[in-house]
Amino acid sequence: MADVTLKGVTRSFGDKRAVDSLDLAIADGEFVVLLGPTGAGKTTTLRLIAGLEKPDAGTVEIGGRPMNGESPAGRDVAFVFQQYSLYPHLTVYENLAFPLRSPARRMDKATIDARVRQVAKMVRIDHKLENRSTRLSGGEMQRVAIGRALVRRPSIYLMDEPLSSLDAKLRGELRLELKRIQKELGATLLYVTHDQIEAMTMADRIGILAEGRLVQIGTPREIYANPANLHVAARLGQPHINLMPPGLLPDAATPAGTRTIGARTEHLEIARTGEGITGNAEVDWIEHLGDQNHLHIKVDGHKLVTLADPDLPVEAGDRVSVRLRQPLYFGGDGQRLA
Amino acid sequence: MTASHDTFSDKMADAAIRATPEPLAARVRGLSDRAIAWLFIAPTIVLLLAINIFPLFWAIYLSFTNFRANRPNAVVQNVGLGNYSRILNDPDIWASMQTTAHFVFWTIVLQTLIGFTLAYLIDRKFRGHAFWTTLILIPMMLSPAVVGNFWRFLYEPQIGLFAYAVSFVSGIPTSDIQMLGNVHLAPWAIIIVDTWMWTPYVMLICLAGLRSIPDYIYEAAEVDRASPWRQFWSITVPMALPFIMLAVLFRGIENFKMFDMVNLLTGGGPGSTTEVASIALKRDAFEAWATGRSSAFAIVLFVAVFGLANIYVKALNKVKQR
Repeated sequence: MADVTLKGVTRSFGDKRAVDSLDLAIADGEFVVLLGPTGAGKTTTLRLIAGLEKPDAGTVEIGGRPMNGESPAGRDVAFVFQQYSLYPHLTVYENLAFPLRSPARRMDKATIDARVRQVAKMVRIDHKLENRSTRLSGGEMQRVAIGRALVRRPSIYLMDEPLSSLDAKLRGELRLELKRIQKELGATLLYVTHDQIEAMTMADRIGILAEGRLVQIGTPREIYANPANLHVAARLGQPHINLMPPGLLPDAATPAGTRTIGARTEHLEIARTGEGITGNAEVDWIEHLGDQNHLHIKVDGHKLVTLADPDLPVEAGDRVSVRLRQPLYFGGDGQRLA
Repeated sequence: MTASHDTFSDKMADAAIRATPEPLAARVRGLSDRAIAWLFIAPTIVLLLAINIFPLFWAIYLSFTNFRANRPNAVVQNVGLGNYSRILNDPDIWASMQTTAHFVFWTIVLQTLIGFTLAYLIDRKFRGHAFWTTLILIPMMLSPAVVGNFWRFLYEPQIGLFAYAVSFVSGIPTSDIQMLGNVHLAPWAIIIVDTWMWTPYVMLICLAGLRSIPDYIYEAAEVDRASPWRQFWSITVPMALPFIMLAVLFRGIENFKMFDMVNLLTGGGPGSTTEVASIALKRDAFEAWATGRSSAFAIVLFVAVFGLANIYVKALNKVKQR
């Protein structure tokens, strides 16, 4: 395992800058998740570290060694692709053993066998070792792909949305397993996703990427509670953060220069009208999710969505009172004020 | 009077209704979807029956007789399996089968090797690869008759370009390069022409196979430290193999019945060195006019190709399912 440092890395495709002077430092044994929408440069960043793309400018260092000009094989990285990139004519066992059979490694048969079986157990595919890789379900294929990365002990594991093509249940399971395995191995892992739940649950640190730039990096808690700007705030939180002009809702301390106020569920205080409380909003409709409700509220033509207790005694059409409680304030440039 | 007038007009109306044909839709409505489907494929089936299936069964019938097409009025006798036993015991026919086998083997070996190599090179996507692809495909688009005649000129020892070029490079006098006249060279002359013409076809199928391998498999292998050599043998070849096998099947069936090129270039000669099965069959049928016996020969060939192709397709399916 090793630390990885990117310094001013830039990569353009045509006149589009996929990665724009990116600085990123991943500590040894750290699980970093890059989160961003499609086209933010997440995959390109991974491919630059793996050596599958060459940077136009900047350096990639792995374990303190500059890697410019080094081939993917020379970098000692493991890569899990978004697609099931198994060798289709080989069995699960052979797929897992493939990286170990590289002549550069000189590993004897018994060691390979032990390693393959150990990893197969880790990703829970040991009962299907003799199956052809094409005869597996999607989840099994992706577990083999992850296993094929884990079977080696590279400087860094690079994973490109490995769970995105799986169904929700399996995604949840593998999320936990992956985190467990990473802890067990003490592995340095850079993981790319556009799924905020994966980012929040697995990462030691989350890096928010937008248009090839690293907008903010920090622990999941920091990123969630202290977003640097509107873009970061909008990436996290379910339901989506509510954005509104200042003065729409009563608030104690709006700082000067505030252009937009961002309010998540925990920033909104909702009370039923009556007993001296006059409503400033109307419940538009209620989505029942089971354990919770999505409350859609209309305030002066602005729509707000917030989570609500399913026992909250309101119905569509009810007047309610909504006020802000320490929301996020953003200036005209989208940067956070307080 | 009024009553009879009424009946008259009623009759007229009835007649008019009967005379008017039912609208097409209403008549067709009575047919089930299945019947309509049959109607659609009926013309093809009729055609197939008339020019493929019927002649096949007719040939099977004739193969048990001593029928001769140049004596249609002679008495036709049933000879049982006589034709078949004569065919299978005839050393000349076995020789022609062997010649065919040699042709099939060497054309497939050469076309697969060259075709796959070309496809592999074209797949590197170098500058102008589209232009080269088109250029390579040209021989395949020519008519076999044209190709055969062209190459007869090229092989001409005195004026032909082929003999001249070989002689220029090797120093062997052109008079010794009797590609079509020499017993040893004539089979290779035909193999060269067939390879020249049909390698592009094999290349095209192989190229489709190579293009079907996604880039990320190679990238995964590269990250896994597989050498280009190992990538070639553990990714490229196995993943393109079903396509290569398909090309071999097509070329194999095609060359088993190779006729046009041989007929145009050597006509089976010199001697009988290039007399492949189809040429021998043609001689038996249209020179010796032994229609019954040649029918038996044709059936034997048919069974052989059909059987071999079936075994091969089974193997192909096995490879595909891996």
